[in-house]
Amino acid sequence: MKTNQQPILDAIDPEIIERLVSRRDAIRKGASVSSMVATGLAMGSVPVMLAALSRDVFAQAPSDILDALQFALILEHLENEFYKAVLGTSALAAQNNAFAPVRALIPASARETFMQIQKHEQQHVDFLRTTAIPLFGGTAPAITAADFDFTGGNGSGTGPFLSATTNLDVLLLATQAFEDTGVRAYKGQAGRFLIAGNTNADIAMESALRIHSVEARHASKIRRIRRQRNPSDTTLRFSGYIRGGGAAAAGAGNIANPPAEVVAALNLIYGGGTGPVSFPDSNTRHVIFNGTAEVIVDAATVGGTSAIGGAAAQQLAATQAFDEALTKAEVITIVQGFIRNDPARGLP
Amino acid sequence: MSKIRQDSMKDLGTIETGLQRPTSRRGFVRIIGAGSAAAMLPALVSCEGDSIAVPIQPGGPGSGGGGTTPPGGPAPVTGVSFDLRTDAGFLRLVQVLEEVEAAFYTAVVASSNFNTFFPAEERELFVDLRDAEIIHLEVVRAGLGSQAVPSLRNNINTATLNTFLASRASIIAAARGFETLGVSGLNGSGKYLQDARNLLFAGKIVSVEARHLAALRDISVPGGTANTAFASDDTIDAMGRDIKLEAGDIIARAAATNILLPNTLAAQPISNQPTATQGVPTTNFITPTP
Repeated sequence: MKTNQQPILDAIDPEIIERLVSRRDAIRKGASVSSMVATGLAMGSVPVMLAALSRDVFAQAPSDILDALQFALILEHLENEFYKAVLGTSALAAQNNAFAPVRALIPASARETFMQIQKHEQQHVDFLRTTAIPLFGGTAPAITAADFDFTGGNGSGTGPFLSATTNLDVLLLATQAFEDTGVRAYKGQAGRFLIAGNTNADIAMESALRIHSVEARHASKIRRIRRQRNPSDTTLRFSGYIRGGGAAAAGAGNIANPPAEVVAALNLIYGGGTGPVSFPDSNTRHVIFNGTAEVIVDAATVGGTSAIGGAAAQQLAATQAFDEALTKAEVITIVQGFIRNDPARGLP
Repeated sequence: MSKIRQDSMKDLGTIETGLQRPTSRRGFVRIIGAGSAAAMLPALVSCEGDSIAVPIQPGGPGSGGGGTTPPGGPAPVTGVSFDLRTDAGFLRLVQVLEEVEAAFYTAVVASSNFNTFFPAEERELFVDLRDAEIIHLEVVRAGLGSQAVPSLRNNINTATLNTFLASRASIIAAARGFETLGVSGLNGSGKYLQDARNLLFAGKIVSVEARHLAALRDISVPGGTANTAFASDDTIDAMGRDIKLEAGDIIARAAATNILLPNTLAAQPISNQPTATQGVPTTNFITPTP
């Protein structure tokens, strides 16, 4: 950094300076920039360059991370309040009462598992509220049990997942759907934490990744519980993997006539990278940038896999070997029915 | 630049109860063979009399490098190193872990004791693990192209492998050890990646590794109760976050298992550490009971 720029930069948020400096490094290394930024650089004008960067680069900078964290908070609240309602520990009696019938059916072993998972969801809520969001200058909105309708009925209490309150298999399916959605939602947001030279962003990203893998552990355990209840449904793997794509990947074979809305939600959750351009990969295709070239590899046809035992086996294994991402818009479509609308607090 | 970095550190000071402070950069890369790392896997004392031939065969994992392998195969690879200033360096590290896991699970499934050690549901689990790790390996290898690590198929230490294969318990313990390395390693490395495509790719692997680990802890409980071992309190921190390791510690722990022949990795396997722009190291968080 040139010393003659120091006084100007000192007056600006250090986070933005850091972003600016790393961006200038990137520019030096030949990264593409908008013509406005290039003009600012050519003029040697910090204000012009800053103004341009605020649009060009900062749009995916700290404010973007804050948005991702606020989004994660809503999902963590959703999960946390869901488990509390199931366990009968919600602050809202109506939520506890709604799940009383199915609660009586939950074996002690699964109850202990639910309690462990709920503990983690509470920890995630607390971490996001009190540490991660304030780190980026944000304030977490107040969200309570009253903001959720776990039947997916948008407040009606009679949505498509209503039978989860009385049928243990549906409850476990809903639980798995929430967990897998959580895994995919975090994965889809990871790229928004990518800011070179920003320590806060690094820490937020590492924390998000670590929360993400805990959600995957939850999903794995729920899938194992479901398989043990229904041993013939080999879609539910003892490895905890997701086999296949679409609603079939949910392993809902032991649930008679699921409502069309439930099937639609499962299709969205397990569709596998069919969303907007953000994720051009599919259930088996993966994109790697190796520093020289972008390489797209299809795991279903990649060589060197003869030990797996043939094309059909490899196709199945390829769907299981990677967990897909969901975009924010896709996740909102999936969870919207469970959350009462309140745009003022950022609730979709 | 230094002033800016100090500002960031100052910000961190206000949130120390919520976040782990970065450790000193000096502590980032540990020396290979650090004694403490040897504790990663439980002591595997005895090797059963009928020790198992290592069933890593041509056409198995690692053959994707192309072409047929002559009898006996190529000589073991030596001096593998990682330049962590680039995403490719981290992907190479992922590849080495996948090489080990793919070879291990292939050997487990092919072992003559597989059917006697494991009931049907555990056999299904291990076949799934084998298949996923082979696919991870081959996808990473294909993605890296010319920058891939040469196949380590002939670098597996058969003596070590045979001790792992000696019993159901030692197989599961070794598997948990490898998956623990995979989950913690990817969780700790993500912040250094510079390309969103690679970050997404790593994310798609790490959650699958976490699924493995939860299932392995579920079938043989190393911590917590049978109903909480999948994510017991010793493996998740007070903020609900999973295990993580910095790259140097991943390599040290992998080396300490002796699953790779000596000299497979370079004496200084990390040729270049990540730059400060890529990210700053954080305190490791790893379960004492993998």
